[in-house]
Amino acid sequence: MITKEKIDAYIEKIPPAPDALKQTVALLKQEELSKAAKAAEQDPALSSYLKQLINRPIYGFKHEVENISQIFGILGVSRSQQTVYSYMTSLLSPKEWKLFKLNQNSFYNLQAELNAKWQKILKHLDINDKEIESAIALLPASIIVSEALFCEKIDDVNLLRSVDEIDLNTILQRLCKMDLFDIAARIAEKWEMDEKITQIVQAASGVKPSEDETIDKLGKWMHLLLFYTLSQPSNIEAGLNDFIDFQIDYVMDIYDDFAQLMEIQ
Amino acid sequence: MRAVVKDGVGVFHPQGFLDGNSSNALLSIEDIDSTIKSNADMVLVSLKKVVFFNRNGLDTFIKMFQKVRSANHIVVGFCDYDKKKYDTIMKFYKDEIMFSLFKTQEIAMLFASNFKKESKNVLLYSEDKSQRAAMAIELHDNGHNPIVAQSKEEFDEKAKNEAAYDIIIEDTFLGQMGQKVAARVTGNAIIYTLSSFLDAEIGNTFNIAYHNNSLNVGFRLFIFDAYKVVSMNVHALNFFSKLASSAAEYNATICFVGMTFEKTPIAFKETLEDSGIMFFEQMDDILGDKELLKELGASSAAVTKNKRVLNKQIVTETPNFIDATVATIEMMTNSEAKKEAAKVDKITIAEKDGKIASSIGFYGDIDGMVILVFPIGIAKKACELLIGEETDDKELILDTLAELVNIVGGKVKTLLSDEDISVDITLPRTYPDIESLLEIAQDKKGVQVDLNFNNDKFLFFLTR
Repeated sequence: MITKEKIDAYIEKIPPAPDALKQTVALLKQEELSKAAKAAEQDPALSSYLKQLINRPIYGFKHEVENISQIFGILGVSRSQQTVYSYMTSLLSPKEWKLFKLNQNSFYNLQAELNAKWQKILKHLDINDKEIESAIALLPASIIVSEALFCEKIDDVNLLRSVDEIDLNTILQRLCKMDLFDIAARIAEKWEMDEKITQIVQAASGVKPSEDETIDKLGKWMHLLLFYTLSQPSNIEAGLNDFIDFQIDYVMDIYDDFAQLMEIQ
Repeated sequence: MRAVVKDGVGVFHPQGFLDGNSSNALLSIEDIDSTIKSNADMVLVSLKKVVFFNRNGLDTFIKMFQKVRSANHIVVGFCDYDKKKYDTIMKFYKDEIMFSLFKTQEIAMLFASNFKKESKNVLLYSEDKSQRAAMAIELHDNGHNPIVAQSKEEFDEKAKNEAAYDIIIEDTFLGQMGQKVAARVTGNAIIYTLSSFLDAEIGNTFNIAYHNNSLNVGFRLFIFDAYKVVSMNVHALNFFSKLASSAAEYNATICFVGMTFEKTPIAFKETLEDSGIMFFEQMDDILGDKELLKELGASSAAVTKNKRVLNKQIVTETPNFIDATVATIEMMTNSEAKKEAAKVDKITIAEKDGKIASSIGFYGDIDGMVILVFPIGIAKKACELLIGEETDDKELILDTLAELVNIVGGKVKTLLSDEDISVDITLPRTYPDIESLLEIAQDKKGVQVDLNFNNDKFLFFLTR
């Protein structure tokens, strides 16, 4: 059994630790883009991350974007904030993945894909809220925390998986009394995100629907997006597809809309 | 991903979106090997958690099905889907479905051979008559009590009384059945459906191999349902004239029903009539007139031009044919078969009275036909199982017999495809007495096997 304290200890490790990063997050929250860019430039690792991420094919820029102010300018406040959260997540990323067959590159791809598609969804739903845009960064972050927790008990995990058709999220729940979405909610608290973000992430589990209609709808979209992304070959090979139990009935009413938006044929 | 094997049934549970890429990532060669080695009696892929699939996504699993089935000869297929997914799969694979479809895992379990714990009352319906029959047989064989609805109306009516049944089966398909063809059979007539504009394309769209084999098996009446034909040009005219003259060699009759000549020169009708084709206004004019039907479909001794001889390959495959036949009849009659004698010669039937017969042709990599001669008692037993009551209605018994032979044909097709021999089967043809059978079969040389089912003599004959 992994205690709650242990989980919290993992989450504690999540930055913002360096001053420059802290400052960047604070300035982005105040929508001070150019000041935030200056702060970000102070942190070489963050600058390098931003450049790498923005130049991934999923963002579709023709020319390489190098200047941080330019990057924040292109992304706008919401996406910049989302990107900085992704960076914070990546700081936590293990050097070597043991349970999930991921590496730095494939993890960045997962992050980039979730970010870009979530952006597309929010635009489609006509939602303009930088906190909600950042919410998607919580999912990769909680995958990292889960990996760390699983590694603590890798033998138990393998044993449980061999005896029954049981998803990793249920195993996580049994080992830690917390599932992927609970972890995401804890991280949201740690990152001092709005209360509604915690609720959206909980709804995205597909088993804890929200009474608030908008939050529930966003939970559905996030659940389906997570599955869409986890059905990509690279993520299946990484062992992420059967991480959580897909709640098909929960998302059926938005499926057609989703399929159209993602151009699924 | 690995199949979870429980009670002899292996089930894969993919989730999310299945396209060609994701399916390939889900199912590795090692996964397929381990499925084969699991020795499951049935391998299923549950679509419960699949929100989207396309044909490429399913194809990966179907390739796995093919490998597993040819290695272990077991039932393979998809389960846990809704009506929409069922219709989509049917649309994707139409006439080439070699796998089964079970609406739920619970339904699949009824067809699993090791599931004999308790007898269940099962209401079942399928649009396809052969499917209804095949399901009823399998369920009966597994110790259940199938109640077969003969129409959708009857099914809906019966299904209202949910409490009367343990399980209700619909949107389910048994994949070892033979292929569907663009023809329907009524009595011993084959009906082809034509539509829109008939031109040179008819030479490509009409399944001539199927037609020729139907002639070879002994069908003598071919009806073209032409209600939906707009017009016919000279190329189509030539095609049908040729078809008529080849039919004449077998003393077969070709009829057109419902054809109008508003946009087709009336002279065409005369040309076709000269080549022996008959025209009727209504389908009922033929099908409703039993005497006419009998006269047109009666098989007077066929002048078979190219007499085909038995070849080594057919003889080599004989055990497959016999296995398929024996398994089906044993299932239908709850009796065990004993082989009494086997020989290669012309068909000999010692006792001609009280027997009926049926035949089915196959063609493709190898071709030929299977003839089964039944004592009327066995046929009645089989009939009882399929319709759920005793009957002396000979027409109904013959119809049932046709279904049974169709099932044998489907099984043969499956067994042969496991050996990479691809064949298609014709519709079954029935014979109300031995004389009518001998008219087409007496000169043919073949493998004859005499079987004994609880002292009822039964004859199997494989020929070309």
